[in-house]
Amino acid sequence: MTRERHYIPESRQREKPKSKYFAIGHSMKRVEDTRLLTGSGTYADDVSLPNMAHAAVLRSPHAHARIVSIDKSKAEALPGVICVMTGAEAAEVTGPCADFSSPPTTQHCIAVDKVRHVGEAVAAVVAESRYIAEDACELIEVEYDPLPVVVDLEEAVTSTGDAVLHPERGDTNVALQRTITFGAVDEDFAAADLVIERRLRWPRSGGTPIETVGATAHYDRGTGKFTIHANTSMYNYVGWLIAVSLKVDPHRLNIVPTDAGGSFGSKLFCHKVCTLAGTLARAAGRPVKYLEDRIDNMTSGDAHGSDRLYDAQLALKRDGTMLSMRLKVIDDYGAYFQYGVGQHGNAMAQVTGPYGITSVEVDLTAVLTNKCQQGAYRGFGSEVGNFVIERLVDAACEELGLDPVEMRRKNLIPKDAFPYIMPTGNMYDSGDYHAVLDEALGMIDLEGWRKKQAEARKEGRYIGIGISTCQERSVFSATEFWMWNPNETPGFTLSSSPESVSVNIDPTGKAFITLNAPFWGNSPETMAVQVLAEKLEMDPADISVGYADSDKGFNSSGPGGSRFTVMIAGAVSGAADVIREKMLRVASHMLEADPSDLEFRAGSIGVQGVPGKEKTLAEVALHAHYFRLDLPEDHDLTSGIDAAYVYDHPVTTMPSEDRSDLGIFYPIVGHMCHIPVVEVDVETGKVDFLDYVAVHDCGTMVNPMTLAGHVRGGTVNGIGSALYEHFHYDESGQLQNALLSDYLHPTLMETPVDIRVGHVETPSPFTEYGIKGGGEGGRMGAPPAIAAAIEDALKPLGVKVDSLPLTPKVLRGMIREAEANGGG
Amino acid sequence: MYPFTYHRPASLDDARARLAASEDGRPLAGGMSLIPTMRFRLSSCSDLVDLNAIDGLAGIERHEGGIRIGAMTRHAAVEASAEVREAIPALAALAGSIGDVQVRNRGTIGGSICFADPAADYPAGILGLGASVNTDRRSIAADDFFTGLYETALEDGELVVSVDFPVPERAGWAKFGNQASRFAVVAVMVSLAGGAVRLAVTGAKSHVFRVPEMEAALAADFSAEALEGIAVASEGLNEDLHADAAYRAHLVGVMAKRAVRAALAP
Repeated sequence: MTRERHYIPESRQREKPKSKYFAIGHSMKRVEDTRLLTGSGTYADDVSLPNMAHAAVLRSPHAHARIVSIDKSKAEALPGVICVMTGAEAAEVTGPCADFSSPPTTQHCIAVDKVRHVGEAVAAVVAESRYIAEDACELIEVEYDPLPVVVDLEEAVTSTGDAVLHPERGDTNVALQRTITFGAVDEDFAAADLVIERRLRWPRSGGTPIETVGATAHYDRGTGKFTIHANTSMYNYVGWLIAVSLKVDPHRLNIVPTDAGGSFGSKLFCHKVCTLAGTLARAAGRPVKYLEDRIDNMTSGDAHGSDRLYDAQLALKRDGTMLSMRLKVIDDYGAYFQYGVGQHGNAMAQVTGPYGITSVEVDLTAVLTNKCQQGAYRGFGSEVGNFVIERLVDAACEELGLDPVEMRRKNLIPKDAFPYIMPTGNMYDSGDYHAVLDEALGMIDLEGWRKKQAEARKEGRYIGIGISTCQERSVFSATEFWMWNPNETPGFTLSSSPESVSVNIDPTGKAFITLNAPFWGNSPETMAVQVLAEKLEMDPADISVGYADSDKGFNSSGPGGSRFTVMIAGAVSGAADVIREKMLRVASHMLEADPSDLEFRAGSIGVQGVPGKEKTLAEVALHAHYFRLDLPEDHDLTSGIDAAYVYDHPVTTMPSEDRSDLGIFYPIVGHMCHIPVVEVDVETGKVDFLDYVAVHDCGTMVNPMTLAGHVRGGTVNGIGSALYEHFHYDESGQLQNALLSDYLHPTLMETPVDIRVGHVETPSPFTEYGIKGGGEGGRMGAPPAIAAAIEDALKPLGVKVDSLPLTPKVLRGMIREAEANGGG
Repeated sequence: MYPFTYHRPASLDDARARLAASEDGRPLAGGMSLIPTMRFRLSSCSDLVDLNAIDGLAGIERHEGGIRIGAMTRHAAVEASAEVREAIPALAALAGSIGDVQVRNRGTIGGSICFADPAADYPAGILGLGASVNTDRRSIAADDFFTGLYETALEDGELVVSVDFPVPERAGWAKFGNQASRFAVVAVMVSLAGGAVRLAVTGAKSHVFRVPEMEAALAADFSAEALEGIAVASEGLNEDLHADAAYRAHLVGVMAKRAVRAALAP
């Protein structure tokens, strides 16, 4: 019953991991810091164009309704108003927004005829100031004819008639239903001694960056060209689709990236805001800025994450050997799709976790409801899978009386099994999961905490220790977006997801790197600088970084799916090879030595084995720029030093026709072990952290300090998902907490005093230097570990954790119920 | 925000005159509650009369009868005051539990009690410690000051000048705050003075209230155990996303005991 080993393409790695590095692996301070921390960043709202007007959006108070009429006359009459657009008017000039689902769910930047969620745009005003635009919105009179509202994901499965959001897709709100079986699931379940079954609920939460989405658009009537300044990320990947919506040829749209004040995935595309700003600018005949306010962002942005109900089964042997999983999942996608069911493609990358499970069946039902659409959010669906499998593992430990650490140790894939093809066909490139577990156990005093736990229980205090051992897939390949789509109509089956950079060396020997994706809260400049410094043995201070707009930019998928460091390392490394080759050639003439006898050494190029016989990079650069013709005849050696390089995804294969094998699509796989120690105040339901250890293996580390920052930030993000965050829709589809005063985040007061971070480095055999991604990990490992810790704390009461978030109210309710049932 | 006229008078008389002359004027103290509601267009006014430039409204004085805190005194000043920490440490604890550092550096005691947010902390301090509120016209006893949701006994144009706190023998503050705003989900101030107990709860109802059954039990035996079995009915308590009425009623009991323990702590 073992699966055939799949085809694994040969590694294209050129830079092997090294024992000693010049710049990589150093905790260098971020080169972005000075600009950002002194307030010198240019964010979406900092863009100001001559003669610019401002937009505000009137949003639907109804979750589902027909738009009967819109009277905008009073708004248009308000002094300072330039124009007011309804959805019908916008649709005359602008097509539907980009959408990767198949078949598409038609969505306009302003709703046409019907609204499908609270907060959907109904009309937009352009005025001399945002104040006037907001005032004018209040003067627009809209008559609605309410329709039945669907907010419950199980009800959505059976709703028909007027409750159907997109009748053109059929008389159902089920957008996609598909079961895929990988491996011998039936046989494995038949061979099992025990099947653990849990119903698990992962709530809708989302990325809530400080800065909302914004765009400033200008339409040049003379050239017929749009320029849109926006805090979008994928502008050099799929940005041209916004031109399609605006009904101009893609070369007549230039997207200029701004700094992004955080994203967490939510600014991956920002298609609606860009399309809206472009539409309004063309109508107004002036540049128009539109920046979401917080309510706009939370009711109608791209921020909402997975919203899933699982009926999950894990088949085991009595000795704890994990055999197989059956997952039946309903996902509430809200009113539209942005990336199709890509979040479930993503989850298939690591659905069986770090364990040697050989088969899995996934039954996916994606439903449409009257809520904001889902977008991308840190983890992109895989974080939910981690929660599900870890809850099953903990339940199995409970059932079999096994220790959660030993249970994991027994089932973790051993380090000699890599590269490892997991049941869906994805590859785990490398790993040493036991080393990560051991490192974490070495950092936490488990025995000491168990003693303190026992003592505390005598005093009526509830301390708990949890553990999670989770995968962090990184470096997505585009197949994840469409692999679940119907075989007959898979949509746009793109396979490329490259990244590129260009590098110039100026006449003084300093370097300038141009990235083709924006700054959106991480450290792209620092990563690029460290890799280029490594390749050219340059002082990092001699390298600066900028960002290309879409006119000048080329092939870039942008940050997302924890891919950027790996991908720009590949691109920088490739570009640097071209630079190196040219500098060596110039230097060889200057030093009258063969290029193969030369080496880069700390700011110079010199003859190997001959100390002092060298030229500085500045001397070589000056020669290359200004004195080329002084050099001996060298065919095709041109003046200047520059290079552009496109780095394709390091290792991808295509899904099989029948999808019984999804191919290799998310293969650069890190691993983590989180061990939180919590105390639950059983009287209030509040959870406090007493200790927290997080060990990650992200392969070769480019910058341990910034990686640790990612781990800590992601862990706090995961604490939010576990304990506080939830977009709460009531039965009428009203989003009740579309403000940061009610959508609760963990603050410094709710987070551990110190999240103690450890690292293990298992280099990838497929990426340059063996780097793996690390951007999402914290949020992918914290929720199951925290759930386990709380369950452990409340073991005397018999409380079981099957859903998140565990707000004080929710947890106190569970404790009260357990106490009433005679727990404790 | 809707447009308004901003004033910044330098004297109390000038402030009063400007408020009287306005169609629908409001005084502005720290603005920590008023400005957000105006930003969300939940409230508006014709004139905003900023009291921050008026001398003599801020400050903390210890006198024989107790402690007088000027209306424009910032929460951070109360939190840090040696006089308050020495005489009524529970009041310093209350001030230190409000919002975050920025809020405490900006928000004022006068602003807090005049706004009378159902989840504000100071109302419980005023009522639980039996303070009196001095205005430009009169002195109002704590029991008469808070009259409803965002409502006080203040008349049109009446301005709070200071608050007088008697020094209790013991007092304790316990708060269960909202994670984002630090507003009280439920918070309790309890005090013991001359054998009389006052126990005031904020966050749980339309406005701050005392719990006579708990006060009676504590007057007989000032210990957390004395509160065992005394429940507050959940009828009429606030319900929101973060706490339903039953949870709030439960928290009143929990916070009352913790406040008593805090009062008894050495």
